Amino acid sequence: MYKYILQSAGNINWMAIFALLTFLFIFLMGVVLAFAKDKEQIKHFASLPLEDGQKEPIQ
Amino acid sequence: MTQSETFYYDNKIVRDFGVATALWCVVAFTVGLIAALQLVWPAANLSLEYTTFGRLRPLHTNAAIFAFVGNGIFMGVYYSLQRLLKTRMYSDLLSKIHFWGWQLIIVAAALTLPLGITSSKEYAELEWPIDIAIALVWVVFGINMFGTILKRRENHLYVAIWFYIATWITVTILHIFNNLEIPVSAFKSIPVFAGVQDALVQWWYGHNAVAFFLTTPYLGLMYYFLPKAANRPVYSYKLSIIHFWALIFIYIWAGPHHLLYTSLPGWAQALGTVFSLMLIAPSWGGMLNGLLTLRGAWDKVRQDPVLKFMVVAITAYGMATLEGPLLSIKSVNAISHYTDWTIAHVHVGTLGWNGMLTFGILYWLWPRLYGNKLFSTKLANLHFWLGTLGIIFYTVPIYWAGWTQSMMWKQFGADGLLVYSNFLETVTQILPMYMLRVLGGTIYITGAFVMVYNLIKTARSGKLIANVEASAPARAVAGSHKGEYWHKWIERKPITMLIASAVVVAIGGLVEIFPMMLIDNNVPKIASVKPYTPLELEGRDIYIKEGCVGCHSQMVRPFRSETERYGEYSKSGEFIYDRPFLWGSKRTGPDLHRVGGKYPNSWHYNHMKDPETMSPGSIMPPYPWLLKKEINSDYTAAKIKVLQTLNTPYPNGYADRAVADLKLQAQGIADDLRKNGVEVEGLENKEIVALIAYLQRLGTDIKPKATVERIQ
Repeated sequence: MYKYILQSAGNINWMAIFALLTFLFIFLMGVVLAFAKDKEQIKHFASLPLEDGQKEPIQ
Repeated sequence: MTQSETFYYDNKIVRDFGVATALWCVVAFTVGLIAALQLVWPAANLSLEYTTFGRLRPLHTNAAIFAFVGNGIFMGVYYSLQRLLKTRMYSDLLSKIHFWGWQLIIVAAALTLPLGITSSKEYAELEWPIDIAIALVWVVFGINMFGTILKRRENHLYVAIWFYIATWITVTILHIFNNLEIPVSAFKSIPVFAGVQDALVQWWYGHNAVAFFLTTPYLGLMYYFLPKAANRPVYSYKLSIIHFWALIFIYIWAGPHHLLYTSLPGWAQALGTVFSLMLIAPSWGGMLNGLLTLRGAWDKVRQDPVLKFMVVAITAYGMATLEGPLLSIKSVNAISHYTDWTIAHVHVGTLGWNGMLTFGILYWLWPRLYGNKLFSTKLANLHFWLGTLGIIFYTVPIYWAGWTQSMMWKQFGADGLLVYSNFLETVTQILPMYMLRVLGGTIYITGAFVMVYNLIKTARSGKLIANVEASAPARAVAGSHKGEYWHKWIERKPITMLIASAVVVAIGGLVEIFPMMLIDNNVPKIASVKPYTPLELEGRDIYIKEGCVGCHSQMVRPFRSETERYGEYSKSGEFIYDRPFLWGSKRTGPDLHRVGGKYPNSWHYNHMKDPETMSPGSIMPPYPWLLKKEINSDYTAAKIKVLQTLNTPYPNGYADRAVADLKLQAQGIADDLRKNGVEVEGLENKEIVALIAYLQRLGTDIKPKATVERIQ
């Protein structure tokens, strides 16, 4: 089945395969970076824009 | 507990970039409006060569991208970077050099582009001395940014900063590679790449100028200013991490979608299409992350103009990033390419995403910089509606114009012939849409003027808080906590982040571009294709100077509707001596690749003198100055020499006799013109003769000797 899909996709050269593999690697790296953190860390990172250590002149 | 340190944020540099943003916003929009007006009323150029559409278009795009959005990026980065890292900028002096350097570059662009000093590459038109200045100022920005990151008090680099880092490194790479050129004179250079290779490098740059100048830095700004304005953290920080890595990796591959159905090899086109479609996922991930940040806070959106601007901006981002991939599907691109559909698409992005987000940030920042309230919330709301309606009135008619014209180009009658064989018919049909576009642009720019007034009044009723006191503990040396490996590996190490970003964005460029440079089979040679003569070269440079490429493509796609209209489809081997390539991206006028030999010399002479005499109803402006100005052959020999170093096969020593050859060919064309009733003293020395020589050469290398077949 997969051979048929690959054949019907035309001339799959090394560039297409390399592109797919590198994308998978980068995507998985992003997933690992995202999910290898605990909740407290994520909460802290997400709140960084709201904690700039200055007094807001107005609100 | 680490002792708290007191320090000051630099607000003055933020204000300066903010003022520049507002100023250049008005300039960029005004130039765009004048250009749009010329498409329905060519006389709006006031018969001046400096204000013709061909020269104004690059001024408009450069002003919008690098002056308006560029200053908007720096304004937002200088504000957010200090606060996210809890430190002042690394160097106030570098901040000032960056600010004034960037403004000088913009002024240089505003002077040189109307003078016709251009490399003709879209969004990279500025000539080599300005390219070098851009590189230097960009490095100053980089040193200031990384210096700030290195002296930070906050260990973690917030995701917005990742986007800033990726922007800096990618723009550096793009700028260098797309501007590899050899100077011929102070204002003229010849690119090292030719034809299809030049096209691939240019659109690798052009697409990623959109990606890494109009998108990634603004995503960074969204991840900072949206939580600030809504006073709540981003919806999903995890999603922002995946968004970042997936987006910067995929974006760089998508450039070839600008060259579908051209002479670019099929494999490169296929990669461009696939990665463009994949882009929907991270783009929409980012958009949803932005919109969902406002969950439970939609009541605020109803009241706060800042959030209104931001919601429309993020929505426009979502629309543009769905449409972009769809336009990259070959069958859709076959309809959209070269039409106003593309113009509408990019304006959803710039007016909607960049414009509205910038306005929202300016309205949020100004009261904070001046320590007071916004002068008028009502005026800000008025601006919001003018901006939103302006976008609608601008884009809807232009979408309609694009679809209409494309359908007309492709329509065949029962007799098997093109129904609209005269290209001009397809232009006059869409002029009412062009008029509506002017209305939309006027509404949008009115909103910008309202904003400028509001910001000036806000500033005048307050006082700039140039230095804001803040306090934070000194940065603790990062300890090794459980589960922190991945975090410590990259997100606390800015240089590692820089290198990782560079590697991730470089992969796509390397895979697509290097084979094109190294494998000869990708650009099959055609024996009959010869280098341009000296006169044709000078004519080509006049074509470049006048910005003809802004309205005329030189790429006949392999469709029956195009080969019927223009002739044989274009082959990659025909462009091997084209430095730069001039394929164009928009057909306001017809394609010119096969125009050589189609009309007599006198037709071109009279057409350039006054297009309406040969094509009644034409919206092309007259070019009477070409009939008066003399050909500048001072640099002809230098051009030949540079081309020889780039392997253009002129005979040895040809540079020394190039001017003599130029004069001989010019004399022949002038004699022919005289025979056909053109009586002008010194005709053989005029620029029009060189331009005619170039136009008559176009596309003739692979067809039988040019003969004048018909006059239309």
